[in-house]
Amino acid sequence: MAEVKKNEEPRIGVFVCHCGTNIAGSIDVKEVMEYARTLPNVIVADDYQYMCSTPGQNKIAEAIDEQKLTGVVVAACSPRLHEPTFRNATKAGGLNPFRFEMANIREQNSWVHMHQPEEATAKAKDAVRIAVAKASLLEDLVPKSVPVEKAAMVVGGGVGGMQAALDLANAGIKTYLVEKSPTIGGRMSQLDKTFPTLDCSQCILTPKMVDVYRNEGIELLTYTEVEQVEGYIGNFDVTLRKKARGVITPEEAEARGIVGGGCTGCGDCVDVCPVIKPNPFELGMAPRKAIYIYHPQVSPLIYTVDFDACVKCGLCVEACGDKKAVDLEMKDELMNVKVGTVVLATGYDIFPIEKKFEWGYKNYDNVITSLEFERLICASGPTGGHLVRPSDGETPKRVAFVLCAGSRDNTGVGKPYCSRFCCMYSLKHAHQIIEKIPGVVPYIFYMDIRSFGKMYEEFYYRIQDEGAKFIRGRVANILEDPVTKNLHVNAEDTLLGRPIDMEVDMVVLAAAVQPTAETEKTRRLFGVSCSQDGWLLEAHPKLNPCGTTTAGVYLAGVCQGPKDIPDTVAQAEGAASAASIPIHRGEVELEPYFAQCIEEKCAGCGLCVNLCPYSALSLVEKDGRTVMQVTEAKCKGCGTCGGFCPGGAIWMQHFATPQIVAQIDAFLLGGEQ
Amino acid sequence: MAVKKDYKDQNLAEKLRDRKYYAPDSNPEFLKEVENIGQTAAHMCYQCGTCTGSCPSAPRSSYRIRLFMRKAVLGLEEECLTDPDLWLCTTCYSCTDRCPRDLAPTDAIMAMRNLAFKRDIVPRNFLQTVQLIYKSGHGVPNNDANRAARKKLGLEEEPETTHKYPEYLPGIRKILDHYRLKENADRILAEGE
Repeated sequence: MAEVKKNEEPRIGVFVCHCGTNIAGSIDVKEVMEYARTLPNVIVADDYQYMCSTPGQNKIAEAIDEQKLTGVVVAACSPRLHEPTFRNATKAGGLNPFRFEMANIREQNSWVHMHQPEEATAKAKDAVRIAVAKASLLEDLVPKSVPVEKAAMVVGGGVGGMQAALDLANAGIKTYLVEKSPTIGGRMSQLDKTFPTLDCSQCILTPKMVDVYRNEGIELLTYTEVEQVEGYIGNFDVTLRKKARGVITPEEAEARGIVGGGCTGCGDCVDVCPVIKPNPFELGMAPRKAIYIYHPQVSPLIYTVDFDACVKCGLCVEACGDKKAVDLEMKDELMNVKVGTVVLATGYDIFPIEKKFEWGYKNYDNVITSLEFERLICASGPTGGHLVRPSDGETPKRVAFVLCAGSRDNTGVGKPYCSRFCCMYSLKHAHQIIEKIPGVVPYIFYMDIRSFGKMYEEFYYRIQDEGAKFIRGRVANILEDPVTKNLHVNAEDTLLGRPIDMEVDMVVLAAAVQPTAETEKTRRLFGVSCSQDGWLLEAHPKLNPCGTTTAGVYLAGVCQGPKDIPDTVAQAEGAASAASIPIHRGEVELEPYFAQCIEEKCAGCGLCVNLCPYSALSLVEKDGRTVMQVTEAKCKGCGTCGGFCPGGAIWMQHFATPQIVAQIDAFLLGGEQ
Repeated sequence: MAVKKDYKDQNLAEKLRDRKYYAPDSNPEFLKEVENIGQTAAHMCYQCGTCTGSCPSAPRSSYRIRLFMRKAVLGLEEECLTDPDLWLCTTCYSCTDRCPRDLAPTDAIMAMRNLAFKRDIVPRNFLQTVQLIYKSGHGVPNNDANRAARKKLGLEEEPETTHKYPEYLPGIRKILDHYRLKENADRILAEGE
């Protein structure tokens, strides 16, 4: 229990940073420093060009030592940037690092009041006065160390999730790879070839899928979803829902006492199944049965029963025979796992491009999306790799590719961002039809070709050389000839300055991408923020692109924002590396901003227990009374309980009521007591 | 500033005129005026051409709405306001419907027409339309052929407008008078004769 300690006699040092001209350009630093000297409890005030530099930090340490300071205030940038730096400097001077307080006079002052130097200086004085008031009441705090569970979880089994899981497992960490569909592989397994090398997507992906399946460090949990998450970095308690698959693995069969049983992937069940459904892997362009696998290279090779479609006729059970792999009475199962860190790799979906009426998707037969094109051009796809018009099965000779379909769109219907890989795969599509269909002409309607990656511009050069026609103009609308089902693409060739009406046999829309439907649910479970457009938010766009603001949760792949395969794999390796650090260190330090119960004041009413969003509080018997107790490792210091407690019995460390009141007084009373 | 050379032959001077864009020749205030009157952020245009691609006027004329947007951004006031193409927009709003930047190119064009009118740059047929509206409340008044067609369709000869209720004409005239539209139209037409 914390004691309400008051410093005997606060002795505060104030240091004002120029930050070159970032602060000094609009704030009179000397004036702020002179003002600080007049404030109560301030023993020393100084200024320096760059407080974060070594000489700047030394000033702090020296002043603490010479002036016997009890608190330090630095007026500089955002605490998000340099609070750790100055805490270390405070520690170096022999003071507890939590006796440091920062006044933000850059991001929240000089940068926004660039042209109002007088007002900015006055505001900086306010900020310093408020910080001094708090620093006078700060106390020693000790961070809490908690052990880290030596296991990790990766959510999403696409190429990003697979890479992260492989890296973690190869670093000696037990890894749970959770995938919602019946197989790993993700979007990449739906693609035919990859740019700019033209590698066959499946050929480079399946070895990785096999690696994941065979890796002893990876526990592969397909057809499984995250149900609930509790805990914090080092100690996440995750509840998983293993959806009823209707088919058991050989291991599960053995556990049930069926010798030599379980699914071998023979497919006998499929032949007898009477129910036919569209195959979502083929985007509905090919049929599948109620018992199915997505494609021949699935991993694990275990069939799945679609219980929404299954009529429970039992023919598959008979066909399976002694293997007894089919269990039509199977129910969802919940399982719990404990992990230290988590990597989210939940991927993307295609934006429903039919919302842009002018391009006629789902209205005109021969307007398809790029992902549908991938399946149609793929040798293992529904047409055996022959690109055909959905209206009549004919081979198209003139194909229009519409770039930025729903991307870079500020109307509120589409997406404002660039989807980032459409330019390159559309160039690849153009190459593929030139290669496969003699005499074909690809027309690429573009605004800008963004070929920014390694060997990408060279690929653009190659495709132009191969005969693709580039038309610089966004497609205004598409009309269908009702008899021939040909399409008239209307646009302006902006380089020619003339409207064009291009009659083509097929249109391929490079539809925008968006976060998957499950991303929102998953991010809420793990407490991860998202940006305006739904992509998961990294801790820092440049300096911490794999981390999130939730300690112990990391991001990989498109769930963080559109990116191609090389970037996804690179980020996955980064996320895996970041996720392995706390596990290898074995323990993590938690900032000591915990709630504390002042037991003499606590009436044991328990109202706070129900309010706590992190289940960190409980009621215990102590010395014959009921009082509240905080599980410090679970407490995030949000202050919900402290603000509510009717008896004022909860002490929020580092954000205590007297400290906050002192700050408010300092602001409102302008320094008068 | 455009370089002027002293050719004796006027035709040659025009033919070899310096056509470069020089920033000092432009008027940055023009963009602000267009944005203010049209209430659309014309400077956010990224020149994709969806507007011209949607335009029913473009395939049949030299009118390129995308170019007007570009010229507004560059402050090419003279070129915009003196270009007869400015008056070829049918104000169908297809470009505004489809603009991926959510701009209203139609309203930018209307703003430019307002600015042109302030300088008495208006095609005669537009001014004659003003006179017709003042006279009848219609830009295209009813005529005998129309009346016959309406009768054949079982409609009244005059539509539910000022044609049937001429008592509302003074109201319309009051609006036109307020903006001195008729007065200016009469004056400009008279000056042109």
